Amino acid sequence: MKDELLTKIAEILEVDHVNINDNLKDFEEWDSLTALSIIALADSEYNKKLTNDLLKEFKTINHLVNFILD
Amino acid sequence: MHLKFKNKRISGILSILPSKEVNFIDEITNYNFSEKQSVKLGKIMGYGSRRIVHNGTTVSDLCTFGLNYLFDNNLLNKDSFQALILCTQSPDHFIPATSNIIAGNLMLNEDIICLDINQGCAGFEVGLMQAFMMLDTGAINRVVLLNADILSTKVSVKDRNSRPLIGDGASITIIENSIVDETIDLFIKMDGSGALSLQIPAGGFKMPSSAETASLKEDAAGNVRSLDHLVMKGDQVFNFVQTKVPELFNEMLVKLNISKSFFDYFFFHQPNRFMLEKLADKLEISYEKMPNNICEKYGNGSNNTVPLAICDNLGGKVKNENFEVCLGGFGVGLTWSLVKCKLGNLNFCEIINYK
Repeated sequence: MKDELLTKIAEILEVDHVNINDNLKDFEEWDSLTALSIIALADSEYNKKLTNDLLKEFKTINHLVNFILD
Repeated sequence: MHLKFKNKRISGILSILPSKEVNFIDEITNYNFSEKQSVKLGKIMGYGSRRIVHNGTTVSDLCTFGLNYLFDNNLLNKDSFQALILCTQSPDHFIPATSNIIAGNLMLNEDIICLDINQGCAGFEVGLMQAFMMLDTGAINRVVLLNADILSTKVSVKDRNSRPLIGDGASITIIENSIVDETIDLFIKMDGSGALSLQIPAGGFKMPSSAETASLKEDAAGNVRSLDHLVMKGDQVFNFVQTKVPELFNEMLVKLNISKSFFDYFFFHQPNRFMLEKLADKLEISYEKMPNNICEKYGNGSNNTVPLAICDNLGGKVKNENFEVCLGGFGVGLTWSLVKCKLGNLNFCEIINYK
């Protein structure tokens, strides 16, 4: 479950893979479109409501993954 | 809320689009984002070309032009309707109502009720509801519903969040009594606690426009706009649509005891292709049955999207054939609504260019 989500996040960020300790804002592709893509992913496949405000609070991939899989 | 209306029908739809066309790709340099980022955004969201008005063209201009076209081509008799409803959020003035201005332009007789309604993304459904209620009075046998907006004039050219979506245009829908024993079901909900998630902060009585409200500021995401411009909390609107529309949709199926395969088409508001694909996925409806091409082709015209989607995707076909359709509006208000009705044997269903 977690690996699958990490793969999907990596796809959105256009990198081969992500590590849970990576900082979200360090990714070159981190912008409002990436944010919306992640919000849509959380909604459609995990039924979780993410917002831009919440995303801003998440520092690392780990924070994001924990929220989505919680 | 579930409202039922008997013996009513839509008998014609005309969309009027400004002839000026702009392309997303030509505007990329206006935004504080790299070309690569913007191209990717356009591809995912489905941004293409949009129709926008020339400076000075108003909602009353578009509507007057369209109604004159119907009169001149004998598609509508000037004295054959008793109500003129205009749904818009870009009226010519605060005072008077723009529908009165249009009636004056056309020199309509005095047996007419002019009514402006302030609704946007669900404006077609709210307008239909108002038209049906007027027909239920018995004193009115035909209503002209206008759905028009020119919000491109209120979106900052440097706002990549909203600018690439917004188009302008108007539609005219004729609603009348019918002898056929049919029921139209209309479901509608509103949530005022989300009213400010789509708004133009300044320019009304609460915050009049001033030099201060016109000054451009950059937001956290890099979009530049002023308080006089339209602003949208895209993430909140997205979550609202993906939650509330499916809830209402399921409520409708249960209450009417029908399955989604009952419908031939779902003509929903057209925020952009991305939102509609995600919504279709959630409702488990094929993209063919829920057209999503309007934002990409003409821009999201707020009020105007649903009738325009019908004209563009069905066109003349609906003059001879009948379809079971589900109409859907969702957005500013927040307002969301679904209408189950038949669409067929229309006298006209077409798109014309303004001037």
